[in-house]
Amino acid sequence: MSTSQWLLTFHITGAFIFLGGSVLAGVLAVLVLRNDRPSDIAAHLRLIRAVVIPIGIGSLLVLAFGLALVHEQDLSFGAFWIWASIVLWLAASALGGIGGKRQKATRELAEQLAARDDAPSDELRALLRDPVGNALSWGSGLAAFLVLVLMLWKPGA
Amino acid sequence: MLAYSRPFLPLFLHVAGAMVLFGAVGAAALLAWAGARRDSPALARSALLALLVAAIPAWVVFRAGAAWISSREGDPKGTWIDIGSVVGDGGLILLLVVTGLAYRWKRRGGVRTPRWVAGLTSIYLAALAVAWLAMAGKWS
Repeated sequence: MSTSQWLLTFHITGAFIFLGGSVLAGVLAVLVLRNDRPSDIAAHLRLIRAVVIPIGIGSLLVLAFGLALVHEQDLSFGAFWIWASIVLWLAASALGGIGGKRQKATRELAEQLAARDDAPSDELRALLRDPVGNALSWGSGLAAFLVLVLMLWKPGA
Repeated sequence: MLAYSRPFLPLFLHVAGAMVLFGAVGAAALLAWAGARRDSPALARSALLALLVAAIPAWVVFRAGAAWISSREGDPKGTWIDIGSVVGDGGLILLLVVTGLAYRWKRRGGVRTPRWVAGLTSIYLAALAVAWLAMAGKWS
């Protein structure tokens, strides 16, 4: 395989880990809403926490090998689809990071309630449906998928 | 940087479908591994829903995108296509079997069935990883 093919293979591997992990977290974030018992909610949120590090590694791989491909293939950072992808990558990372902190507070409350009496709680339910936290997380996922759209469509290339 | 000179929509459906499939199967795998440690109806229900509502529809989108690209590019040949076809088409059988097992887990509970669900979904994730490496590197 050529250098470009190797770089592309690692770039796509990073994309699968990054986007696949984001989908995984999104699926669990939707499924957790169907639960009332704090122990069940905590179990789902702990699984989301387990994929945070792989998502981070995937996002770094996709960026690093993407930048290497720009250099290897003599592409221009001024091309819309490249700079817009980098901006969207930054947005996805920032929104995901802020949304993740809010989710951590929800998980900690769920674990406390599960250890106490495991009774359904209105406060926990409200935190799970927090519109700001959900908007941040879904915004992060949307930005990540828009990067995929730009990578495949390449407007202006 | 995935591909130049290819029609956008079928490629997007194929790649996005594959990524959603990977994420949904990964969610089912994590839920099943957690369910294999403690009997939990909530984890069983979530694993079944992840497979039924996310993974199977994603497989349909992913496979339809692949068929669309193939029809436009004159049925390309190569090891990477063969690997993709085996994982894609064979994966449906595995996906249906594991969904049946997840249904059994939801109905009967316990920690034995989720071990099967966890093992088979993990094997499928590994196969999907091999397929994306083959497709990305265009293994000949």
